[in-house]
This record gives sequence, structure tokens and C-alpha cells, in this order.
Amino acid sequence: MRGWQQYRLLLALVLLASADMATRAQDSKSVIGPTNLELHDGAEALLVGDAEEGVRMTLIGLRQANSNRERYTAWSNLCAGYVMLEQLETALKYCDQVIEETDGHWRAFSNRALIYVKLRRYEEAERDLQRGEALSPDARTLKAVRAMLRDAVEPVAPSIVIDDRRQPADAGDED
Amino acid sequence: MKTNGAVCLALIASLSNAIANEDTQVTHLTDDAGDRQPLHTVVPVYPESARRERVEGDVQVCFNVDREGRTSRVRVRTSTHRVFEKPAKLALSASTYKPLAAEKKVSGIKTCRTFRFRLIPVAIERPADAG
Repeated sequence: MRGWQQYRLLLALVLLASADMATRAQDSKSVIGPTNLELHDGAEALLVGDAEEGVRMTLIGLRQANSNRERYTAWSNLCAGYVMLEQLETALKYCDQVIEETDGHWRAFSNRALIYVKLRRYEEAERDLQRGEALSPDARTLKAVRAMLRDAVEPVAPSIVIDDRRQPADAGDED
Repeated sequence: MKTNGAVCLALIASLSNAIANEDTQVTHLTDDAGDRQPLHTVVPVYPESARRERVEGDVQVCFNVDREGRTSRVRVRTSTHRVFEKPAKLALSASTYKPLAAEKKVSGIKTCRTFRFRLIPVAIERPADAG
């Protein structure tokens, strides 16, 4: 359960950034508001957990994309959306598309690493994480995927020692 | 079992009043040097962020115990990492000690407890790996 919650949070973080990108896609033209409404609304739907609607809108947004940046955002969000729908192979296809087109999209590496973790393809997850971390060393989502990979490869269990033994220094502790 | 100054080591992972994570292994070390004996020991939660980042640490808290065994004025005395301080204080505040006998006086000496937060590697065998 903990892994799933962590995973949903992670997707939310990736999508949040993607929604913002969809909104700001053409800042240089001083356009106010989203330039690709479907892409934006798709990201918003994914953010609130409506994966089916999110994917549907993002697919429409992808058809209307008029820049590489919008296409990368759409593919990256479709990757995340299909992960939410547990359709990992389809998700992987979209992440692969982003990465084939550009090797500078850390979110795609993050999403794909997440898929590889889910598919237990840990070496590939590690490789993508390293590439993503090189592009964005402080990205929280990458850190979260890194933690998931670590948990999968080197799981640990908490151990707590409660030590009530009196220590010499304790004796002097008066109120 | 020795009683005079001997350390009593008990695994209390199944402690009914524990609030720790389900998979937490708990070890309670006690001796009879203090004048108060634990009654209800609440186990702190291992902070999820610390577990994720593989952070371990120790926190020693010191506190008063009243006649009825309730704890108060819980203070962190030493700590290796701040992330563990809050769970340690919460657990201690929810813990109790055995009440004092009527003829005994409440000591002004603070009681201290050290929590050692550790992570131990575990091997998980997945169904697909079996056989």
C-alpha cells in the first residue's frame, strides 16, 4: 500500500510539472493561458486521478500539437497516464518515443525508470535514473523513483531498539 | 532469569500497543537500576522519509514520571538526526510506567530512554522466483 501511495504522489509530481509545461508552451509569443487546451486539460485530469479522461484528452492534444515541446509533453503524460491505467507496455512505448526524439527530457527518463521498476527490469531502471539525474540532479520525482528502485533491489525493514538501561550520566539528571 | 542489574532482552514485535509500522522489529532493553518500570511501551514509527533515504539514528529523551506512571516534560537530550525526534517524543508521551506503591516517594530524577532507529536488510522471495 505504501508503495502505491508513493507511486501516486510521484505521478502527481511529474504531471504537475507537465501541466505547467503545457500551459507555458508558447511563452515567447506572449500567449496568455494554455495554447493546447486538450493537452492542458488532459494533464489536469491525470493530476486528479482520472486516468481514462486524462489519456483521452492528451491523445486529442497530441493530434493538435504544433511543436516538439507539446509532443514531448503529450508523450510523457501518456506514458504517465498509461502507467496509472496499469498498461505498462503502452506506457513504455510513449516514454520510448520521447527518449528517441530527445535525450534531454528528464521526466521521460523518470517515467520510464518507474515502469522498469514495476516490470522488475532493474538494470534498465538504474540506467534511466542515472540519465535523468544527470539532467536534473535535484528532481524530487527522480529521488522518489530512486527510492522505489532501492526498495525493490535492497529492501530493508525498520528495527527499533528501545533502550531503558540506566546510563551513568542519567543519574545526575534532576529536575 | 537474573534480576539484579541484569539486562532483560525481549523481542516485543507483537506488542499489542505498538504504533510502529507492521514490519518493524522491536527490541526492548531494560534493567532494574531505575526506580520506575515500564508498563505500556509505545513503539515509535520509523519515519518513511528516513526509511526511503536509508537514514538511521539515535534519540535519547528524558522525562518525568508521576506517581500514576504518566510521563511528562518529555525533552530530547541527544539526537543524531532530527527526523527521529518527533516520533520518539510522541511514542514516549503515549507510554506509561507502573504506578508507585503508596509508601514510595516520587523521585525528582528524570528517567531517560534511548530509541535506536535501524534498518536491517531483508530478503524477499517473490512467487515467480520460487523453485
